[in-house]
Amino acid sequence: MPRYAMVIDLQRCVGCGACSIACRSENNVPDGIYWSNKITETSGTFPNVRYHYIPTLCNHCANAPCVRGCPTQAMHKLPNGITMHNPNKCIGCKYCEFNCPYGVIYFNWRKPHPAWRDESQMIKGGTFSPAEEARKAGGKVVPYYNPERDETLPGIRPKGVVEKCTFCDHRVKKGLLPHCVQACPADARIFGDISDPNSEVSKLLGKFRPFRLREQLGTEPHVFYIRDFNPAHYQPSKGGV
Amino acid sequence: MNPSKGLYFTWLGLIGLAIIGGLFAALRLFTEGHYLFDTNDVILWSLPLGVYIYLALTSSGLTLLASLPLVFGVKKFEPIAKRLVFLAIATLLGGFVSIGLELGDIFHMIYILISPNFSSPIWWMGFIYSVELVVLIVKFWRLHAGDWHSPLSRALGHISFIAALVAPLMIGSVFGLTESRVTYFGPVMSIYCLLMAILSGTALCLFYNLAIAKIGGYALSETKDSICNDIARIFTYTLGTVIVFTLVKVAIESAAVIPDFLNYRRYAQAFGGIGKINTEVLLGLLLPFVLMAIPALRASHGTRILASGLVLLGTLAMHMEILLAGQSRPIGPKAEQYPQYVSYFPSIYEWLVFLLAVAVALLLYTLGERYLRLEAAPEH
Repeated sequence: MPRYAMVIDLQRCVGCGACSIACRSENNVPDGIYWSNKITETSGTFPNVRYHYIPTLCNHCANAPCVRGCPTQAMHKLPNGITMHNPNKCIGCKYCEFNCPYGVIYFNWRKPHPAWRDESQMIKGGTFSPAEEARKAGGKVVPYYNPERDETLPGIRPKGVVEKCTFCDHRVKKGLLPHCVQACPADARIFGDISDPNSEVSKLLGKFRPFRLREQLGTEPHVFYIRDFNPAHYQPSKGGV
Repeated sequence: MNPSKGLYFTWLGLIGLAIIGGLFAALRLFTEGHYLFDTNDVILWSLPLGVYIYLALTSSGLTLLASLPLVFGVKKFEPIAKRLVFLAIATLLGGFVSIGLELGDIFHMIYILISPNFSSPIWWMGFIYSVELVVLIVKFWRLHAGDWHSPLSRALGHISFIAALVAPLMIGSVFGLTESRVTYFGPVMSIYCLLMAILSGTALCLFYNLAIAKIGGYALSETKDSICNDIARIFTYTLGTVIVFTLVKVAIESAAVIPDFLNYRRYAQAFGGIGKINTEVLLGLLLPFVLMAIPALRASHGTRILASGLVLLGTLAMHMEILLAGQSRPIGPKAEQYPQYVSYFPSIYEWLVFLLAVAVALLLYTLGERYLRLEAAPEH
């Protein structure tokens, strides 16, 4: 059984956000919820400042606090290491979200995609309402609905339950890459089996010095970051004198 | 209790209004979702959860107090035992109402039974409190039937005592096991919750027994007066213990320079305070302790009602303070969507849930007091 992991090459990543957009359309992610997200940081003091960009997603931790804390096993581990969620078992206690050290779990506070459920027309009899548009496009709630998401998880999660990245388990099952990996124009995301020493993921982790987010917590995240983009240079000197 | 009819029906009317308001809120929450709360993906747990913690812990405290006569054989407390068991049931039911309306989907609760996760502190908390509720109800039924000392009745007393002792520890561990939130992490929260349970349980016991005598316009019997003196003593000792614990906690939090604690401090005084000491600690712990420590004051029923009432308000505020201060900062990428610190004030729906939970407990107290002979004690 493979153990899936992802390597994100920060030197290749240009911060375009294509991963997030691809994720939204693949997984029918509602507004305000981000399965694929980012951390941006500014270091230094003006005018000596730098901007840092770290793409984020569920870390599919080996010792996942969300899984340990879920009272109904709605949040659970698959044999391939993916941290999966079953909304049909979720009681909406939000303990996984409370417990996640990475801020990657979100709660459906309302019926998802409220804007697309709106039946009001901007010009009565002249324009479609958002809900009509979604129906005409043959979608389910949203016009760009992806029915493939339904294969392993409700395509659109109901109100009152949490949701998060699943490493696109429905695609991975079919031998496809997670959609964020597929969509990355800079090929900054590398996905594969970390238990296979010949996988690209294993090779990269041996070649570079990876880091993981909040590693000291012992959660064993399976999203690794390698390299860091920094075009800055400086004049060598003896002790800066 | 012998209140005038008018007062009694006004009281029931107020409770009825609170229940109707709460049911309206419940209906909207079930149909529209929890966006009606002033919560978001940073402040996840708010007033309804704080109220649940408060009522559940108070119920545990009442059960522990009831264990004095029912488990440890302190016969002197037998005249208040049945009432304590009933108050514990009613208070816990109020707590369950509050957490039920905090959950996103209570219709999935069946999975707590058919798909349990034994490594989850929430599961254990829910399980133990459910056991406590059922055992307390059966125990009350036995007491109501006059069965105080049969093996079954004693066994129920023992089980409810153990449940009431462990349940607060589990509430504490729900927080104490969150690695992501340093300000909660560790065994301290469990010990704190147990102490707070004993404190608020004792406060409610004292407040209730004295308040119903006051409302009913009758003087306490000599036995009852003596029991209240003992309860007041336990109350004062517990207050002292919680004060020491709280001051040590404040000192450690103030001295720590871990960023999470620095952030926590910024929001740890939602109700204001003097120096590092919060208002609710001043008014809800220190002032009642001073009132109860002065011999001339502590003998008065009025002072006892005031001190225990302040503690009942103060402990709720303290639970809310701890709950919110640890959540006020967005974690990880959520800082992209939310401000550096997120503020909170309960929405009307959260207040309605609060009112419903309290009203359910008060309605049960009222009906129990009228119909269930809560002063019954075994004949020796």
